[in-house]
Amino acid sequence: MSDAAIEITDVSFSWPKHLSPTLEMQYFRAKPQDQVFVSGPSGSGKSTFLGLLAGIVVPQSGSVAILGTAIQTLSVSERDRFRVDHIGIIFQQFNLIPYLSILENVLLPCRFSFYRRERALSQGASLQAAAESLLNSLDLSPSLWSRPATQLSIGQQQRVAAARALIGRPEIIIADEPTSALDADRQQGFLDLMQRECEQARSTLIFVSHDQRLAARFSRRIALGERECAVIDSEQS
Amino acid sequence: MMPLVRLAMLSAWNRRFTLGLMLIAVALSTTLLLGIDRVRHEVRNGFTQSVSGTDLVVGARTSPVQLMLYAIFRLGGATNNISWSSAQKLSSNPAVAWTIPLSLGDSHRGFPVLATNDNYFKFFHYGDRRALRFAEGRHFQTVFETVLGSEVAERLHYKIGDRIVLSHGTSEMNLSDHADKPFTVIGILARTGTPVDKTAHISLEAMEAIHLDWEGGAPLPGMTIPPELVKKFDLTPKTVTAVLVGLKSRAGVFALQREIANEKSEPLMAVLPGVALDELWQVVGIGEKALLAVSAMVMAVGLAGLASSILASLGERRRELAVLRSVGARPADIFFLLSIEGFFVMLTGVLLGVVLLTASFFIFGPFLETRFGVAFRVTLPTIAEFQSLLWIVGAGFAVSLLPGFRAYRVSLSDGLSPRI
Amino acid sequence: MKKFIWIGAFALVGAAGAVAWSVSSQTDPDDGANPAIASSAPDSAQPAKNADFKIGDRLQQATSAKEVSPITASEQIVYRELLWDDLMPSDWDPMAPFKGMKLEKLKDGDPRAMDALNKAREYWKNAPVESKLNGIAIKIPGFVVSLEREGDDLKEFLLVPFFGGCIHVPPPPSNQIIHVNSAKAVQGIRTMDAVWVSGVLEVNRSETGMGVAGYALAADKIEIYKPPAATR
Repeated sequence: MSDAAIEITDVSFSWPKHLSPTLEMQYFRAKPQDQVFVSGPSGSGKSTFLGLLAGIVVPQSGSVAILGTAIQTLSVSERDRFRVDHIGIIFQQFNLIPYLSILENVLLPCRFSFYRRERALSQGASLQAAAESLLNSLDLSPSLWSRPATQLSIGQQQRVAAARALIGRPEIIIADEPTSALDADRQQGFLDLMQRECEQARSTLIFVSHDQRLAARFSRRIALGERECAVIDSEQS
Repeated sequence: MMPLVRLAMLSAWNRRFTLGLMLIAVALSTTLLLGIDRVRHEVRNGFTQSVSGTDLVVGARTSPVQLMLYAIFRLGGATNNISWSSAQKLSSNPAVAWTIPLSLGDSHRGFPVLATNDNYFKFFHYGDRRALRFAEGRHFQTVFETVLGSEVAERLHYKIGDRIVLSHGTSEMNLSDHADKPFTVIGILARTGTPVDKTAHISLEAMEAIHLDWEGGAPLPGMTIPPELVKKFDLTPKTVTAVLVGLKSRAGVFALQREIANEKSEPLMAVLPGVALDELWQVVGIGEKALLAVSAMVMAVGLAGLASSILASLGERRRELAVLRSVGARPADIFFLLSIEGFFVMLTGVLLGVVLLTASFFIFGPFLETRFGVAFRVTLPTIAEFQSLLWIVGAGFAVSLLPGFRAYRVSLSDGLSPRI
Repeated sequence: MKKFIWIGAFALVGAAGAVAWSVSSQTDPDDGANPAIASSAPDSAQPAKNADFKIGDRLQQATSAKEVSPITASEQIVYRELLWDDLMPSDWDPMAPFKGMKLEKLKDGDPRAMDALNKAREYWKNAPVESKLNGIAIKIPGFVVSLEREGDDLKEFLLVPFFGGCIHVPPPPSNQIIHVNSAKAVQGIRTMDAVWVSGVLEVNRSETGMGVAGYALAADKIEIYKPPAATR
């Protein structure tokens, strides 16, 4: 089904020095604009899953199709190109380049991807304007914009990271535990912003977290098991 | 490319303290390497410039290099003199065009005094066959007259007509003065850039005259001969330190050299200046090579330091590299990022080193010149130096590839989740 | 990780080596790797260095001067390769003073031997020159005796046929010394280095009867000596 944003089929992946596969997935599909909550205990292969989606690692068997392209068949540089063109990534912490300003951090993907650049220019009169409007909608005031990244609080940094992931409207956003370093009261606020922006940008959101309290906000939830390496998908249930 | 270069520069600026130290290390080792090479050339030039057109230097049978050092460069001391009759025999030899007898031993306030005759001003050449010129005045005609080299006159602020007193011996402590026989300055030579500049010249007769009432290196108590009466005595010198010889045909130098060596009446030695200097340089060359090897070692240490500091920074930058990978940097870009950093520090360090060298020569050059008699000219790097600089930068480039390569591998294996 | 240590070690050794090489190629001019001096025939062997010669050694040339084809150096001038023997007139025998003496029969320290040697020295000092060679463009190998230099630049030197000529063995006869002047100074040449010299030979007759005539040469080209190729 080529209209799926993400389609994973019969994938098995093991890290080089491990004997048993870290992740095995029979089938996973996400439609455009889906927002999926991915959880699982540590060691269940969450990072591996994200790596597969982002094209960082390639499964030993099976197929990972992003926007209709089977990325496991691409070369390393092609996958890198694909990643920056179509996927925005947010890490748990230390998202920002310390020696660049906020605006420069946000605009990083546009330096590496022509595709994102063009799409960003459709968001605003110039790249800078597009970045500024995103920062605004993520509740970051203009006084912060020219500050170096190290002077911001964790919450502010995470929101800047979100802006960077969202600039140029990539089709897929991958968030790897973005709220885990935030205070409890800020977590909900961050999630609000994220989900709202993803809806506006019509991007698919893959949200990984161990915090079950946030799961309620998502219509789709999958849990990666430890032993069985099976997938429990709320869509199918 | 551009965003990467800019990223590299900003990243380097972020770690400017550590990198700055490495930069200074590279700069200093460049200065050392280039500086030693330059000094080597200048010293060599200084020596070879000091005499020209002289076929043989004849003196007592000591070592050729020692005779050259003493007679031409006024360094060290002669142990023996040769007799005046041998000197006269030389000048009447049919193969000889001219001779310049030289006598050394006294000094004036630290500057050596040379006793010679008119032939010195007529026939002595230096550098590229240049003759001595008078900046002011004339050469000596009466006994107590002296001609000063340009540096003696400049440093001690002498002018024509001043009276000076010579000291016995060459030490700077004026233990025994020839105070009763002062000399009048009647000529000052133009600057030559050779040991001539720091010499005070008197006639051979004058040298005899001031030692008339001396015996064994000290004035005889109770005996003084006033200057007006010296002419009553025979002022022909008994011995001279060395004789410079010019031949009618340069090819005849070997024959005369052998003749002099076989002279039965006195142990004499004739030295070809060019050959003696080459010999000197062979010996000195070993030291030079050692010095250069040490500098090369220092440079290698600087390079190693640079590479290891960038490598060390990799640890704290793994997160940063993962972020860059996530926004689209390829492993090759990461490689480039780290290599260009090392290369850029290297390049800047080398340039800074050249600037430091030029500045040192500019500031310390004059002082070193007066102290050691070697000119340190401030010049742009020569072609050969440029070549060495390129090699050094190339070596730095090769070395900086190492952190780049490591970063490349690390970014591939880390992916999105670096092991911090 | 071990891989990187090896790569690192090689890179550093390479770096240090490169720096040392560039530096040593300036201090070791005898290697002939010097832009100021062209190299001769590309098919020849290793350049000869000081250390390879013993006192009294002569330089190898083609077996007979007549067999040598003229070597074209610059555009039109053809230099004729000469042997040192060619510089002596065919009727002059350097060993003449010793003729009739049976040196083997003399006892060690016999004054007649020293006498003969002294006579020989006089004879050699007054050696005649071959005036037919005046104005000929020649090429000849020999050992350098430095006369005038400026730092590393050598401008004027004597060329002698054998090694150690100015130190231990008797000096060569005056028709075996060439007084060479070079308009363009050469670098990296020191006393007793072996070189090929090409230029126009000038023969000077003595004027004042004191007997030291000789050869002079304005050098067009000075090259490090390399033994001629075995086959031609």
